[in-house]
Parts: sequence; C-alpha cells; structure tokens
Amino acid sequence: MKRVLVALPVLGLLTALTACSGGSGTDGPIKVGTINGVTGLFQTPEVPQAVKAVFEEVNKAGGINGRKIELISKDDAMNPQRSTEAARDLIDSEEVVALVGSSSAVDCGLNRATYSKSQIVSIPAVGVDPACFTSPNIAPVNPGPFKLLTAMLYYASETLKRDKVCLAFTVLPGSGGGIDAAIKEWSDITGKTLTVKDTSVGQGDPTPYLVKLKGAGCQAVIYNAQVGPWFAQAKTQGMQDVDFILMANAYTDANAALIPAGMNAQAGTEWQPYTDETLPGNDRWAKIVNDNKIQKTAFSQGGVMAADVFVQVLKTIKGDITRESVTKAFKEMQPITYPMVGTPWVFGPGQTHNPIEGSRFVKAENGKWTVLPEGFIVPKRNG
Amino acid sequence: MLDSVVAGLTSGGVYALLGLCVVLTYRLVAVVNFAMAAVGAMGAFVMVTLTDAGLNVWLALPLGALAGGLVSALLGLGLVRWFGEHGLRTKAAVTVAVFVALMSVGLRLFGNNTSGARRFPQPFDAPAFTVGEVVVPQAVLVSLSFAVLITVGVGLLLGRTRVGLRLQALSERPATAQVVGIPAPRLALAVWVAIGAVSTLVIVLVAPRLGGDFSTLGNLVTTALAVAMVGAFSSLWLTLAGGLLLGCLEGVTASLEAVQQYRGVLPFLVMVALLWWRSRHQVWDSEANV
Repeated sequence: MKRVLVALPVLGLLTALTACSGGSGTDGPIKVGTINGVTGLFQTPEVPQAVKAVFEEVNKAGGINGRKIELISKDDAMNPQRSTEAARDLIDSEEVVALVGSSSAVDCGLNRATYSKSQIVSIPAVGVDPACFTSPNIAPVNPGPFKLLTAMLYYASETLKRDKVCLAFTVLPGSGGGIDAAIKEWSDITGKTLTVKDTSVGQGDPTPYLVKLKGAGCQAVIYNAQVGPWFAQAKTQGMQDVDFILMANAYTDANAALIPAGMNAQAGTEWQPYTDETLPGNDRWAKIVNDNKIQKTAFSQGGVMAADVFVQVLKTIKGDITRESVTKAFKEMQPITYPMVGTPWVFGPGQTHNPIEGSRFVKAENGKWTVLPEGFIVPKRNG
Repeated sequence: MLDSVVAGLTSGGVYALLGLCVVLTYRLVAVVNFAMAAVGAMGAFVMVTLTDAGLNVWLALPLGALAGGLVSALLGLGLVRWFGEHGLRTKAAVTVAVFVALMSVGLRLFGNNTSGARRFPQPFDAPAFTVGEVVVPQAVLVSLSFAVLITVGVGLLLGRTRVGLRLQALSERPATAQVVGIPAPRLALAVWVAIGAVSTLVIVLVAPRLGGDFSTLGNLVTTALAVAMVGAFSSLWLTLAGGLLLGCLEGVTASLEAVQQYRGVLPFLVMVALLWWRSRHQVWDSEANV
C-alpha cells in the first residue's frame, strides 16, 4: 500500500510531462526545428536562412490560424555528437512540432531512430546520406543521389543516345547498395547495361581511370568525384568527344569555371537549375532569396521548397497544431505539385520516402552553366 | 594493363616531388614537416588568387613562392627559437599543430572543396608523346626533371658545398654546430624560406593532377610522407623511386577488377611490406636510425 502511495504522485508527474511534450502548446508560436552545417566541412548556411524567410512571409500575412511559425536553427558543423544533441534539444527542450529544411550531412543517419521514436516528421531541404531516403519519418524534397543516378543514366542512354555508358564513382560508405539498385532500375527500364562500372575512384591522379574508360570506348561517363584534376587530365588524354555527366554536387559556379574549353561536361540538377531564374517555380525562390539577400545556390532552393510544402500541409490541419497532428497530417496528405521539381512531393504512410524523381540537365559553357532545353528527365514517366 | 601501368607512371613524377619535399626538409633542417603541403598550398593559393585577378602566371608564380617561403619562415622561426634544443618528435608534433592551424585558416580564406576549387594554370599541358592509349603531356617530363633536379641539387649541396657541410652539422648536432661558430639561426631560417618556396612550386605542379582545393592539397602530406618513407627519410634517390613505384602501383590496381576497391590502400600496403623487408635486420631507435 505504501508503495502505491509513493507511486501515485510519480505517475501524476509522468502524465503531466507527457501532456506537455508532443508540441509547443496550442497558443504561442508554432516551433519548428532545423539542423544544418553552418560551420564545418559541409556548409549550407543559406538553407536555414531560406526556410526562415518563407516562415517570416507567412507570419507577416497573419501566420497559421493566428499563430506565428518560429524556426529554431541548430548548427551541427557535420559533427555527429553535435548533431544528435541538436535533435534531442529540439525535440525534448524546444518541443518543436517538426523538422523542416535540415541539410546536415550526418543528420538522417544519426537521428532517424530518434525521429521515429518521438513520432516527429523531418522534411530535409537536402537529403545527403542514404538514410534520408530509407526512413519512416524522413522525406526530403530533393531526388537524392540514387534517383538522380537513375535519371542520369537514362539521360545518357535515351536522351543523348549513347551506346556505351560508363560509371566512374567514388562511393561513400553505406551507399554501394543504393547505387546498384539505381543502376538496376535503369537497366529494367531501358534493357541496357553499363560498359564499365568503376566505384573505386578516389583521391589521387585520375589518369589511370581515364585511360581505362578511353580504352573501353566509353561515350558517356557518369561521374561524381573531384572535378578539377579529372577534366584537366581528360583533356590531356584527348577525351573531348566523351559526354561527362556529373552529379548535382558538382553543379556550382566554382566547378563550371574548372572545366577546360572543349570538354563536354553536363550536370544533373535536383531542382530547376538555379542559375536561370526564369524557369518555372524559380521565380518564387528567386523572390525569397533576392528580398532577403540570401546566397543563391541549389541548396537554398531546397530550403524554400521544404518550407513551402510544410506551410501547405500545415494549412490543411483542422484543430490544434501539435507534433501529433502535424505528423498525422503529413502521413495522410495528398501529393503537392511543385514546379521546381520533376514529380509531385508527398510524405505519406510508407516506411521509406523518396518522392522526388528525375533531373534537369545543365552544360558547362565558357565557365558557366547553361540550361539544356529538355525539361525534367523522369525515367519512369519517359520510359 | 600495360596502359594502366604507363598511366600510373605518368603520375610518379608528382608523387616523387611530394616525397622529395619531405625528405629534403628532413635532410636540411632535421624536421619531419607535417605542414609541408599546407604551406605549399598557401603559396599556391596566393598564386592562383593573383592569376584569377588577371596577373600573368610567370609574375604570380614567384609571388606565390615568396608567400609560401614567408609562411615557412614563420614556422622555421618558431621551431628555431622555441624548440631548437628539442628532439625530433617534439618538432614533428609542432608541425602537426601548425598543419591543423594552417588547414583551418586556409579553409576560411580559400573556401572548402566545393566552393573553393580553383583551376590551376597548366603551361605544360601539350602532349609530348603517346604510349599505347596513354597521352604523356610535357608536364610529366617537367615534373620528372624537377624531381631529378631536386635529388641531384640537394645531394650536391649537402655533399660538395661549405653551406651543405654546415647544414649537415646543424641538422645532426645543432648545439655543437653553434659552438664551433656556425650562424645557426640565420642559416636555418634561410633554408626554411627555400623549403617553403620549393613546396609551393611542387604544389603548383601537382595541383592539375591531384586536386584544386585547399584541403585536398594540404592533405597531400599523407602521400608525401608515405613516399618519403620508401627513402627512409634520408635517401633522395630512393624517394624518387618511391614516387614512381606509388604511381605504378596505382595504375596496376586501377586496372585489376579484383583489387580495384582497395586502390587507395594497396600501394601503401606494398610500401609497408617493402619497408619491413628493408629494415628486417635493423634495430629501431638505435643511434644509427634516429
């Protein structure tokens, strides 16, 4: 009996605690978290800035049901310990209702279990590691490396009509299986196979790889490693007639300037190429980044899109906006058509999420990227 | 297979240059310099910043080398003034600290590997000749000649000149050298400036093959140390051979499907095995090896 008496107040305290968690109350601001690399090796400070700018626009227009959206941004500097602490802090102390616009390279892999356990959804602006696309509570707004690879292979064999398609990749630990699956998807759609598949490209002199690709007669090479030395040596080896197709991470102003004249370099982008603000959907993004003086990068497009789809789903919620109701709304939502990407975005009830597919291509010309006229290449749709 | 070996050999020159830089520092001032590539990268980025601003390559290059020399002089000054009497290990540890500091400063100044990659000038880009499928550019001959020049030059400097004799005395017995009247600090400082300038030239030469951003270039010190180990930090000729061997092994591993995945590791494993073979009769830490 005595034990029950002691246990009762503890139980009461626990109930009070659980009642508090799971959302930031029903009045006051709607708290939203984001984890990004603002310092460190992989820096994307423009992403939280873009998300914040969208939320401020919503707040100026009166907020959601009269409540303002407050963004709490954490810098994890690509440091695993800081990343897990950031997630814990946002979920337990700040009691955010969702994570929107994360772009840390380590967040998904480290925090996926925390998100599932806390029954909170994360809508990253940029899904970097494979875990971003294979977790029940994470759905990024970019195609990610694997869907992008399928689109790039499809572009090489079907759009450019190259017979000998080769792959020269550097593989991050844990993504080998995803790459094989992406190649298989392309083979299933087109019935074609790779002429050379080399996933051992790393640092060091690229010449031995280039010579091997040249010897095999590769006409298109899908590539994802260092840009400068690769193209400098490809030029030396006389590979001007080969179409080199780069992953989205190479689509930066600095890289366009690295490609020597006469070399064929194209890159698959994840959103409408940011270097042309007149493309469908880019006007919306350009307005946000221009008005708020945010750096123009593809990542900032992800920031705007993640914030936009979040606000759209938030508006569909009837009743209180809590972590529980937000998670429910995302799991039951209808697909949203967003012109900056190739396919509609949806969260949905699945155990894995990779809603965005396809890629649009740009070509390096005179040290700048120019957008190619074909729209989004979406293998399933086109195939 | 043969093509791959030839392709690998073409990079041997740049690997040899990296290794030679480490060995020459060790021979001249008795320091295992972990900051070598980072110092060179500083100079190289000063140069490439100037060329991007429109300056002629041949004007920017000496300015970059000077900048590298100055950074190196600062490092040397610190080592001579505060760690002159300390052992090899302490000095190496100091250069590790300087390496870490230079890397973070460089990352701040010149950007990371996506935003900070630069196109380095390639004045020797034209093909010299072709072997099978492999086009060998003039740059390969330039790198190899520069490597031989360093090997022969430093050998002559140490063995045949008065300055060389003093340097040897300084690097082996610094205190005794000062007692017999060798102006140690001034001489050492001049050598550090030269080392910084040479490191800059080497980094500028290897950049079109091995990387265009600060962190990649600064981290080349690991490759440099591996090559230097082949020459046991003392033999310049063996270091030169080590560079060629590394290039060759990389070429072979790139062509063999079975070992392709281990391309990054295999050359170094072979080198470790080689070192073990060479040193199997030696007693480590004995006077002769320190």
